[in-house]
Order: sequence, then structure tokens, then C-alpha cells
Amino acid sequence: MDQNMRDELLKLFRSKLNEAMRFYLETCTRCGTCTEACHVHASMGQVKFIAAYRAEIVRRLYKKYFKSQGKFWPSVGEAKELSNMAIEELFEAAYSCTGCRRCMVYCPFGIDTQMIMSIAKLLLIGANAEPEILTLLADTSVEKGKSLELFKEGFLEGIKRLEEDVVQKWRVEAGENAIPVDVEGADLLYVALAGAHSIIPAAAVFNAAGENWTLSFFEAVNFGAFVGDPTKTKLILDRIVNEAKRLKVKEVCICECGTAYRVMKQLSGKQPFIVTSITEVHARYLREGRIKLDKSKLNGGITYHDPCQIARNGGIFDEPRYILQHLTDDFREMSPEPIYNWCCGGGGGLVALGDETLDFRMKSSQVKVDQVKATDAKILTTACENCHTQLSNLNDHYKMGVEVKFLSSMVADALMQ
Amino acid sequence: MQTLIYFILVPMVYISFAVFLIGTAVRLIKIFREPKHPTTLQIFPEKHPKWLWALYDTFTFPSVRRHKPVLWVFLVVFHIGLLLLIIGHLELFGEFAIFQIIPHEVFLGRGFIGLLVCIALIYFLFRRFTSPIRELSVPEDYYLLILLFLIVLFGSQMDWARRWYEYAELDVEHYRTYLSSMLHLRPELPYELTETGHSFMLVLHVFLANLFLIFFPFSQSMHSFLSLPVNKLRRG
Repeated sequence: MDQNMRDELLKLFRSKLNEAMRFYLETCTRCGTCTEACHVHASMGQVKFIAAYRAEIVRRLYKKYFKSQGKFWPSVGEAKELSNMAIEELFEAAYSCTGCRRCMVYCPFGIDTQMIMSIAKLLLIGANAEPEILTLLADTSVEKGKSLELFKEGFLEGIKRLEEDVVQKWRVEAGENAIPVDVEGADLLYVALAGAHSIIPAAAVFNAAGENWTLSFFEAVNFGAFVGDPTKTKLILDRIVNEAKRLKVKEVCICECGTAYRVMKQLSGKQPFIVTSITEVHARYLREGRIKLDKSKLNGGITYHDPCQIARNGGIFDEPRYILQHLTDDFREMSPEPIYNWCCGGGGGLVALGDETLDFRMKSSQVKVDQVKATDAKILTTACENCHTQLSNLNDHYKMGVEVKFLSSMVADALMQ
Repeated sequence: MQTLIYFILVPMVYISFAVFLIGTAVRLIKIFREPKHPTTLQIFPEKHPKWLWALYDTFTFPSVRRHKPVLWVFLVVFHIGLLLLIIGHLELFGEFAIFQIIPHEVFLGRGFIGLLVCIALIYFLFRRFTSPIRELSVPEDYYLLILLFLIVLFGSQMDWARRWYEYAELDVEHYRTYLSSMLHLRPELPYELTETGHSFMLVLHVFLANLFLIFFPFSQSMHSFLSLPVNKLRRG
């Protein structure tokens, strides 16, 4: 690595050093309380997967370039030069961390490993060493935001084809759109994923509840956040914020996608609309009696996987359990305390990387498999696309014999006319 | 030799305190002047009042108690012990009525506080030799523990000498003369401090403590100031 490149990367490093990041980089005492926190370490046993070790890989560079200790006495903190080898280490640390923040619950200080890994991810982008697919996907999303007109026609045609399936789940009045799009003055803007499974059940439930809603042109997922690019994250987020403002909606409802929900909820700042997850909205409909569910539709024990970004990092614990009360009499908790729920092993962009990470995702999630098996449930449900894909992969790989389902589609299937 | 002893007990003490105070202040100011993080970094479910829970997390380490109970016991012993030893040192400057609420001879705890802190430090050090803490640790972590252990051991020796084996040449009054003269910037070294049998303990104790103070602002010891604000972030 030449000096120019290093300077560029250190500039990126500097851009991440706000107050919170300094706290996280300065405070660790390497006490090892976080040892058991990471599902990768718990499943695979290697020291390099302990949260404090991952963080120390970034911290060593920090000491070298941003701390006087590393300048005067580098060996005392093992300060390390930013080299090509260091970039490789950063890659391994960052892309084996799913950003679930379970370690933050263990740490006596509350150090946020996901935050520290965001430095690693940004340096990887700067060194052109990030997983290319994620950048490509992020760029596509950004592009779509810039030239909506190009995509609009195809999108609307695709949506039309889905309407029939929606009506099968819930009849709408003649003349009404089963999937309204681009409705100014709607109360709720629903941001889905590119996929019928994310649109059809949601649409049926909105129609059943008599919601004045409209579907967003954009998909909720934020690949900018996965790859750790703050600029692209913001651009992808702003597409939806701008659409919501243009349509003057009161509420932006995010589909079952953990990252999308957390980014939208926490990063969009103060806006004229509120941000909710579809799980919250469904719970609200049930509470207000706007929809009714038929318990007889589902047989066998049901367990629920709390997606990290929605539960531990987003605060939604009670709503999915409230919904499940209306779906079954045989709900089984996975973890005595949901805050300690194991990550599915698919977050942080790992699932988006597909087969490339499959082997690692399977090996690193043994503890999740054991946790699910211990419930002896027949149905494993969750409220996040990533978790759903990962749990399905685990189900196939480990022959867990459960049915992996989205919570929202279970709600749609159990609707009573 | 006399010059060396004088250097350690007078100028070096001033230098160390200056480095400690200025270094810590500058580092903290630098950190706190960075821009705030734009989003919340909290963990859910949240509990109110958040600041009270942040204090609870900071001062009772509930996550360590839950996941590493043995470590927690030693951590509590160590931190409370350290606090009591600091109080003991303040009493070496002069009388503080507030500390005499529980009437005692200086230092509090009849010498056992120092002993307990020594044991805790040995535990921390030996713990670092075991995997996986060994792989997580950097040299700084060992240096700090060894340094602290020696400081407390030599310091306690002086206390133990007076209390446990009746070697009472060095008295609280001598320390008070020395420390209050230092505080008033008119350094005075009583004969007993530099010439009696245990003065080498004192000199070593002060020398190592000086090193610790100098290293403090640049080390992980800064967690003593940062623990509360970091914990507050987690509570939201």
C-alpha cells in the first residue's frame, strides 16, 4: 500500500471519529466479558470472533494514527500500520460480524462493535476491497432514486399482475385498487421489498383493515448500510423520505426488513411522518379490532425469532408476541429474555452476499439451530427478510424440520372476512 | 543517591501530577468536542429514568455480575478498595472530618484494604494469562496490572509495618508534613522519610505511582472517566 492510498484511507477513518466512536475506541479494558456474546464465537470457538478481538483490529490502527500512545510507544498497545494485510484482517472482522449488537449487552461499558466495524467497512470501500455485489446493489438503488421515470412503467405493470393474488386473500370493493400506488394524501406509505411475498400479504391486510394506504416505488432494503457507506445509505434513505413528503403521508410503514426499519426509524431524523414497522401496524389493527384472525389456520407450536435490528436495536418486542397470541395458543419463547436472542447469522450483508457466504453462515449459526430445536416448534416465524432467508438456509442445511414463515404472511393467511 | 531520592519525591511528583491532570483534561476535552453521533445508539428495551440506569450500569457492572460472577467479585473489591485507598491518601494531607464519620486510624481498614486490592490485582493478572483473555490482551494491560500491584504492595508495606509488625519509625505525621508541604509548593522532606529503614518502600511506592500517573491519560485507565458517558449511550 502506498502512502497516498494510506492517507486517503486515514481520511475516511477520521471521518468516522465522532464522540461516540472515540468513546468506543478508548474505553475497552479487554476484560473478556464479551467472550460468550458472539454467535460466531459460540458456534466456531475461534478467538478472532470475540467482540473485543474484532474491535481491537480497528483499535490497533486507531492507536497508531490517532493516539499519542501509538506514536511514542506503539508496542505497548500493539499499534499497527495500515497495510494490505491489515485490510485483509479488517475484511474478516467486518464481514464475519452481523452487527447484531448482542455483545453490547454483555460489555460492562456498552461498547458498540457494529459501530467499530463500520470503520472497517468504510476502509474496505476506500481500498476497493469491499464485497462488490453490495456496492453494485447500493448503486442500483441510488440510480433508481435518481431516474424513477425509467422504472415507473415496468414497476406499475408488475404490480398490476400481483393484484389478483391480493384479492384472493382479501376481496376489495369493485372499482378499488387492490394495490394503490402513488396516492397523494394517503395516510400510510408502505415500503416493501422487491418481491411478491413482501407485497401481497401486506396489501391484503391493509385492505382488510380499511387502511388508506399507498405502495412506495422503492424497495426498503438499504444496501448502503450493509456495505457501510454513509453517503449511499443516506441517498437510498432519502428516496423514501422524499416520496413520503411528496405524497404527504402521515406514516411510513417499513416491511419485514430489519436494516431498513432501523435505518428509516433512527436515521431519517425529525419528519412530518412517523416511522413504523409492519409488525407494529398489524398489532395496532388487532388492538383496534380492525382485523380479526382465525386461530384454527395454524397447527403445531410456533416460535418467533426476534430480528436483532427490530428487537434489540429497534425496540419491537411486544408487538409480534401480541400478534402471535391471536394466531396460536401454542407460542414458545426461544430465549427466556428476548434481548439475549441469538442472531440468525445472516445480518450485516451476509445474506445479501448469497452463496459466497453460505458455508460461513451455516457454520457460524450452530447456536441458533440449537436454540430453535430446543423449542420443538413446528413453525419458525420471523419479521425480517434476511433472517427469513438465513433461517430457511439453516432449516435445509441442518434438516431442522420446521416451517419458516413470515409473521406478516401468517397474519394475511389467517384473515377472517 | 540523595539526589535521586529527592528527584523522585519532589520534582517527579509535580511532573507526574501535571501530566496526569493536563493529559487527562486535554484528552477528555478532545473527545467531548467531537460531534455527537446523529442517531441513537441505545439497546432496547429501554428503562426510565435512563440516567439512573446508566449510573447503575457504570457503578455496579450488572453484565459482569451476570456473565462472569467471580470476576465481578474481584472487580468490586478492587474498585471499592481503590476508592478507600484514595481516601486514605487524602487523609495523609491533613484531617478530614467527613472521613472520620467512622472513626479510624489512617488508613481505613487496618491494612486489609491494601491486602485485598493486592489479591484482586493478582487475580486480574493471572486471569490475563489464561485463554481467551490472553489473546485479547495487549502489553499495556499487563503493565498496568503489574504497576498497580507493585504500587499497592509497597504502599501497603508501610501501613502493615506500622500496624502488623510494630515498625513505627514512619508515622502519619511525617507523611502529613511531606504531603502538605508539597501541596503548598514548599517541599520539605522529614528525616524519617528518607533515612529510616522503610524509606526505600516509600521511594519505590512514589516512583511507581509517578509512572502510573504519567501513563494514565494515554492508557485504558481512561475508562474511569469514560465509563459513564459510554453507558449512557447504551441506555439512550
